[in-house]
Amino acid sequence: MSGALEVRAITKRFGSLVAVDAVSFTVSPGEIMGFIGPNGAGKTTTMRICSTLELPDSGDVLVDGTSVTLSPREARARIGFMPDSYGAYANTTIHEYLDFFARAYGIRGDARRRVLERVIEFTSLGDLREKHIDALSKGMKQRLCLAKTLLHDPAVLILDEPAAGLDPRARVELRELVKALAGMGKSILLSSHILTELAEMCTTVTVIERGTVRGSGSVDSIARGVSGLQRIYARALAGSERLERALLELPFVKNVHIEREGVAFDFEGDSAAAAALLAQLAGAGLGLCEFAPKAVDLEDVFLSLTEGRLQ
Amino acid sequence: MNAPASTGMRFEDRLNPILVKEVRQALRGKYFRVLFWITLFVGTLIGLGVVAGSVSSGSSDAGRVFFMSIFGVLAAAVHCFVPFSAFLSTSSEWDENTYDLLIISNLRPRQIVQGKLLSALIQSLLYYSTFGPFLVFAFLLNGIDLGSVLVILAGSAATSVTLTLVGIAASSLATNKVMRIVVMALFGVGLIAAWGMTLGFAAGITFEPQVLSSIEGQITFVAYLTVAAVVALLAQSVAVGRFAHEEENRSTPLRVMTTLLVLFASAWGGWLVAQFGDPQSLFACHAGAAALLYFPWLVSSTEPEELGRRASVLGPRGRLASLLAVPFLPGGGRAASLCFAQAALAIVSSQFALAAAGAGALTSDSTLLAIAALYTYGLSYVVLPAGVAAYFLRRHSARVLLRVLLVVAIPLGIVLPAMLSLFLGAGAGSAFSHPLNPFTTLFDIQFGDASPQALVLLALALALTLLVNAPRMFAGWREVLRARRAREQETLDAPRA
Repeated sequence: MSGALEVRAITKRFGSLVAVDAVSFTVSPGEIMGFIGPNGAGKTTTMRICSTLELPDSGDVLVDGTSVTLSPREARARIGFMPDSYGAYANTTIHEYLDFFARAYGIRGDARRRVLERVIEFTSLGDLREKHIDALSKGMKQRLCLAKTLLHDPAVLILDEPAAGLDPRARVELRELVKALAGMGKSILLSSHILTELAEMCTTVTVIERGTVRGSGSVDSIARGVSGLQRIYARALAGSERLERALLELPFVKNVHIEREGVAFDFEGDSAAAAALLAQLAGAGLGLCEFAPKAVDLEDVFLSLTEGRLQ
Repeated sequence: MNAPASTGMRFEDRLNPILVKEVRQALRGKYFRVLFWITLFVGTLIGLGVVAGSVSSGSSDAGRVFFMSIFGVLAAAVHCFVPFSAFLSTSSEWDENTYDLLIISNLRPRQIVQGKLLSALIQSLLYYSTFGPFLVFAFLLNGIDLGSVLVILAGSAATSVTLTLVGIAASSLATNKVMRIVVMALFGVGLIAAWGMTLGFAAGITFEPQVLSSIEGQITFVAYLTVAAVVALLAQSVAVGRFAHEEENRSTPLRVMTTLLVLFASAWGGWLVAQFGDPQSLFACHAGAAALLYFPWLVSSTEPEELGRRASVLGPRGRLASLLAVPFLPGGGRAASLCFAQAALAIVSSQFALAAAGAGALTSDSTLLAIAALYTYGLSYVVLPAGVAAYFLRRHSARVLLRVLLVVAIPLGIVLPAMLSLFLGAGAGSAFSHPLNPFTTLFDIQFGDASPQALVLLALALALTLLVNAPRMFAGWREVLRARRAREQETLDAPRA
């Protein structure tokens, strides 16, 4: 798949510890995958393997079709890696820092000047270009690090805890930048501990614990996979009590309870059963005015998938 | 854009990125600026003091004293401050978490090391150009000739380059903070010692310039430059290896360089034998080479045995080329093969060198025996314990501990039997003369006084080293050939896929 990140059954051991155990997933172009798991789950190791910084004991990662194991140099040209620990040089301005990395990526002449302008503009660092990076705020440093990651226009972005330590405004700004990058067709793998942040930003998630993948896909599909249930919210003009009574008599319906002005419930059936349910409620004379799957909380998914044990 | 501007931009584009960054950082950083002005201030102060003192005393040595005073300050800058700055700059790549960012860029490890070296050279050049007028003034004061000034400056420049590369290599070896503080302290002490030695070397030439007219003096100077160049190249190989990703091939450049060093020692020694007719100079060259080989042998023979997934896809395609490349590929067993091969190469090339120099058969035999014994000591003190440890050690930390133990193996090998001998009541004078002491034994062999027991013990140690290491050496060869077959199979399968 062009521009995709394909992780194929990678395993990494550190002595007797299996840090990553047969982990597989794929991030397609334009997709933002949230990579979540407790501390020590193997997130950073997986990301470092994807970035060629660690070598898996078995398995492989293909970046835009190139193996990180066998052709690390070629793979690096397609990867933009933003590590969790920010690397900065002392006595260097923003422009010099980016200029250095552009040179390090072999970008020359006018192309380098154009690239610098492009990433500085994209990350809104234009007014600060002559500012020393030692004097930057955490949010600005993260922007700079992202700018550095984008210099060689990689197809795949691997961002390890990019929102850590950011204030709410900086987080919102970073989220918009990441969404814009996905809009450009980049495959983005992003780890974070801030689950609400990920829920708003990511199209899919992969949950990892003790080196193994516990679930991968959209939040809803994982939630369904975990519990076999779909959470639905419905509202009727006849009132929530009458709607609740009607629902309790119908098949595949569980855990019915009144929520705000309507009723929330778990539904065990498939799509055909859901269609039949909707038809029954509509024909029951309740004045059904709202019937929609309820957004699943990523936090619930995370807690249900993981046991919170450290390696 | 006009032609000169365009050429300038193209040139600027071609500059090593590390060089550009490091020079920008150094010129803006406090370390360089403060030390530069202090050096200049102290140099001026000392210079004025020396001139005033010489004028009042009417000394005819004013030029020499002035030169030595200024050179002392200049040497402190280019032999201590600049290499130390290179050390700090290299360690900052790990401290500031920029090492990962560097190795995932397009930069090759060689470029990183060269960039750091070039930046240090530019700093040194700034010092040399600043102190240039002072040195010219010393020349005008009389008492020192231009030839001596040039020789001293050439020696100083060579020393500065070597110390800088040693600094980069030493810093790249210690990636954890505690280890780095220890290495930094040792390096600092080494720099001060090197500064003192350079001053001694400069004083010798300044006050006795006739030494440069003698063939011995000239050879000593060339030998000094040669040793500096060899140490610099070895340090560069170490640093380049260390800047490569830890799971990539870090070993081959150093292994190639050490093999060349062995050949170079024979060639240089053979030339000296031809010039002076003394075979001991060949032994001396190999003794120097063996001292330089000790550390690379120690590191490579304690490497993990596996070739690694990334290194296994490299290597020549042909069967013969693969076989020849085996000792140069990563892995402890393959390093043991290389150590044996280098020892054999030293003996064979020395034999050729002695024959070409027309040395007498009798002295040639004792010299060759001494060279063989020299490398046998190296094998016994490094490759034998590394081979034994290879059966048990798996963890990286244990490997580091083994390396530290091997560093002190020779001093322990000399001192412990001597202490035991003293404890058992042997004569104090002969306590240090035992077969585990390479210095006394090699001295005896060279002069035909070696005891047969010592020679038998060395032969046994050699056989034991070979025996202990044979399984991992064999496994190392087999792994490379298997990897070659796998690559061959992949090539055959590729069109079908």
